[in-house]
Amino acid sequence: MILNEAEAVLDSVADIDGFLLGCLVDASTGMVLAARKDQDDISLPIAAAGAADIANVISLLAGELSVDGPEDVMVTFRGQFHVIRPISGDRRPVILLLVILDRARVNLALARLQIRNFCVGFAA
Amino acid sequence: MSQTPRLRRARQLTASVLPTRAAGAYPTLVTERLRKAGATGSTGMLPFYGSAEGAIFFRNGRIIHAESERTPGPAIGAYQEYAGSLPPLDRIMAIRAVTEPIIDAVLELFTAQAHYARFRSSRLPDAGLASGIGVEALLAETERRQRLMKHLSVVLTPDTAIARNPHLRLESVRVSAWQWDLLIRVAPTATPRNLAWDLGRSVCGTTTDVYRLLALGLLSAAGEAPGRRRAMSFVRAASVKKGDTMPVISAGAAVEDAV
Repeated sequence: MILNEAEAVLDSVADIDGFLLGCLVDASTGMVLAARKDQDDISLPIAAAGAADIANVISLLAGELSVDGPEDVMVTFRGQFHVIRPISGDRRPVILLLVILDRARVNLALARLQIRNFCVGFAA
Repeated sequence: MSQTPRLRRARQLTASVLPTRAAGAYPTLVTERLRKAGATGSTGMLPFYGSAEGAIFFRNGRIIHAESERTPGPAIGAYQEYAGSLPPLDRIMAIRAVTEPIIDAVLELFTAQAHYARFRSSRLPDAGLASGIGVEALLAETERRQRLMKHLSVVLTPDTAIARNPHLRLESVRVSAWQWDLLIRVAPTATPRNLAWDLGRSVCGTTTDVYRLLALGLLSAAGEAPGRRRAMSFVRAASVKKGDTMPVISAGAAVEDAV
């Protein structure tokens, strides 16, 4: 994370039940632009890099299949959900939102709705 | 009168400010210099010269601006926009617009192994970041990008000539407007660095964007050998093993890495 002042934009994401980590990642460079973390044992650089790699592969897939890019990507680990969502428009550099949720504490449907609402409000 | 030959005496005097030519010494020397400026809360400018010219500006030990002659700086008005009150996404974009050129410039200076000169106190730019970037955060991001660029350099560096695929079927092309802006500017002499200057984007970001277009088969890189291309991996670039140092990118190292 480069500038601490960017952290405040993720306040509402941090209120989701089961929230462990949230960050905004520049998909071009993989740089973390803002981050909030509730658990220290998650490596922010690795999680963010993973999200950028997944988004890259999905965008390659979308290009090959000639379909529109992803609305969101969900990765289900045994103890966590990783939700990745592009949040910027077509003419701007792609910024990804990564939210990591504790699988034991989260209501996934509600969390996805909250993440979608956050992105809509964020980009408005 | 000293018996030390004049040349040796000059070398002794400059040893504290000029990186030695010993292989692998540069990353340690330059990072130590930045850490020293950070730890002492320095304000001023650290100039670089030689293989790449530029400067890193500090205020109270934090980096508020950096520039390199080989990377585009921030767009006109970027610092004013960053200082204003903005909606969340525009705020993040404004932060990106001022931090990206700083990191891009530092990456270029370090990659070119530019010599640093004496720190000049009280020399500050006209505009810069309000809070600044911490030295450790900047070094970590620069090292991550160096690993990423080294990984890509098997196929593509910022100065590799690229060309559009002549057999492209336009109806099958599906790219974002951001990628399209890049794609349509690929002229016969294009390189990622030229395109970055043309578009006012970072050299590092443009290189990774070009790499994606290579992967989609929309572009090709000069001298690209079949089978050399590998999937771009941010995870690999972010994984730091104990004892890892800042990688030094060179064509020779890239070839060895590929073998």
